[in-house]
Amino acid sequence: MIQMFHVSKSYEGGVPALADITLKIGKGEFLFITGPSGAGKSTLLKIMFGSEPPTQGQLILDGRNYIKIPQPELPALRRRIGFVFQDFKLLPNKSVFDNVALSLKVMGIPPSDVKRRVARMLTYVKLQHRANFKPLQLSGGEQQRVAIARAMVKDPAIILADEPTGNLDPELSVQIIELFKEVNSRGTTVVIATHDKALIEKYARRTIALEGGRLVNA
Amino acid sequence: MRKSGSADFVYIISDALSSLKESKGTTALTSLTLGFSLAIFSLFVFVISNLNGVMEGWGEKTQIVVYVKDNVSSAEAMKDSIMKVAGVRGAEFVSKEKALSELKGALKGYEGILEGVDANPLPASFEIKVLEENNSPEGIAKVVGELKARDWAEDVQYSREWVEKLASFIKFMKIAAIGVGVFLGAATLFIMSNTIRLAVYARRSEIEIMKLVGASDMYVRAPFVIEGAVQGLFGGILAFAILAAGRAAIIGQVPSYLAFALEMPFPVPVFLLALIMAGVVMGVAGSLISMNRFLDV
Ligand SMILES: Nc1ncnc2c1ncn2[C@@H]1O[C@H](COP(=O)(O)OP(=O)(O)OP(=O)(O)O)[C@@H](O)[C@H]1O
Ligand SMILES: [Mg+2]
Repeated sequence: MIQMFHVSKSYEGGVPALADITLKIGKGEFLFITGPSGAGKSTLLKIMFGSEPPTQGQLILDGRNYIKIPQPELPALRRRIGFVFQDFKLLPNKSVFDNVALSLKVMGIPPSDVKRRVARMLTYVKLQHRANFKPLQLSGGEQQRVAIARAMVKDPAIILADEPTGNLDPELSVQIIELFKEVNSRGTTVVIATHDKALIEKYARRTIALEGGRLVNA
Repeated sequence: MRKSGSADFVYIISDALSSLKESKGTTALTSLTLGFSLAIFSLFVFVISNLNGVMEGWGEKTQIVVYVKDNVSSAEAMKDSIMKVAGVRGAEFVSKEKALSELKGALKGYEGILEGVDANPLPASFEIKVLEENNSPEGIAKVVGELKARDWAEDVQYSREWVEKLASFIKFMKIAAIGVGVFLGAATLFIMSNTIRLAVYARRSEIEIMKLVGASDMYVRAPFVIEGAVQGLFGGILAFAILAAGRAAIIGQVPSYLAFALEMPFPVPVFLLALIMAGVVMGVAGSLISMNRFLDV
């Protein structure tokens, strides 16, 4: 489903973030990416999402080979991928409901379906009572769950989650990971970047570790 | 792969309306800027086109006077002969008597000067206007040459200096108008594009987020385009209101020789429509251009 060949990434100004990454993520897999802060976890996810182009190497998505994903293909790709951003990226002047609904609206899904699916999703992440709040009226953990709901509501083929439990207490973290597992059991490929060792140990799934931009043995 | 559904259009419109509501402040500000810029620019267009009309009016004044010998030919025959000269648009006969009474009118209070003058010493004359295409120093000289050849012509006078000055003044005004017009147009565009760029810049993270959740460029652009159009609409109406109010405020106080500048060169509805269209085009184009670089996420 997702493959990378010798991918390297240096940001502007020459900061190397990833070096020579080769990996393969199968359809329906559940995968953790771990590593210390600054190791390149977010960068790796962004490359898979097409929001950062790799400096070198190739990316294969659904059997198609890319050096850089062409701009016109990005909307279609992103509708198939649910991305939970480390910094949430919620629209501050839109309600929780509208933030989650946005990812369905951009796909042209009819309003009645949008309503139903968003309401159900908000119940899953236990935010149904916050539907009309604005993001800034929420706690960090609540905002994080809005971001997760927005990524999951469209039933994407792939979920890329960047520290999705970073602001959650251990109990809520487990509940959220259970949610990812459930989505995964229905066939969605799930990739979670986290430095929460406890979580990784608890679930004992395939884990790849990064350090200084290189793959190391987990 | 899933294609965009038919609900797209509904979302685009309703999103645009709600974003208009949210950005009332910037929309108002942009409309204001647009309104004032358009008002200043059209004030200039106004004055120039009125000035043009006035200059054309000057050109239509009598340019050539032929004084005729007494008792050589009849007024009708002379007029026919004048009208046959290429380039002549019209000729008005001024009889000896009319010339005298005009002189008397001009000497009001000093009629005594004319006492003792028995016979009317003034010659009859024709005041001649030339056609537009002959209204140049060369064209007039040609007409004058032909008139001088008539045997009943005593003398032909025309103000060479006036004609030449007028021609060069009109030429200068046209060049100056183009220069000022280009400058004002550029300034208007500059102010507009900066105002819109600021408004778009303030919402760049919104644009980025929409692109990241899979919105097409069209979907992201639509609210900005609609906003630009609304701003243009308001701006155009505002510009019209500013001009109308300004005109109403000063119309009674302008000296009559400057009143020409306040005349409406175009029918009012055409003018309003032109302002609105200019506003909408600028608003939409400005939004599209200034948001383009934020779409590349
Ligand atoms: N936009 C950017 N411009 C320049 N350098 C960047 C940018 N984003 C990340 N970097 C650099 O790339 C390296 C990897 O960053 P990345 O965000 O991928 O790390 P991470 O593993 O996600 O860290 P964390 O656990 O703190 O989120 C870091 O050294 C960082 O400074
Ligand atoms: Mg990160």
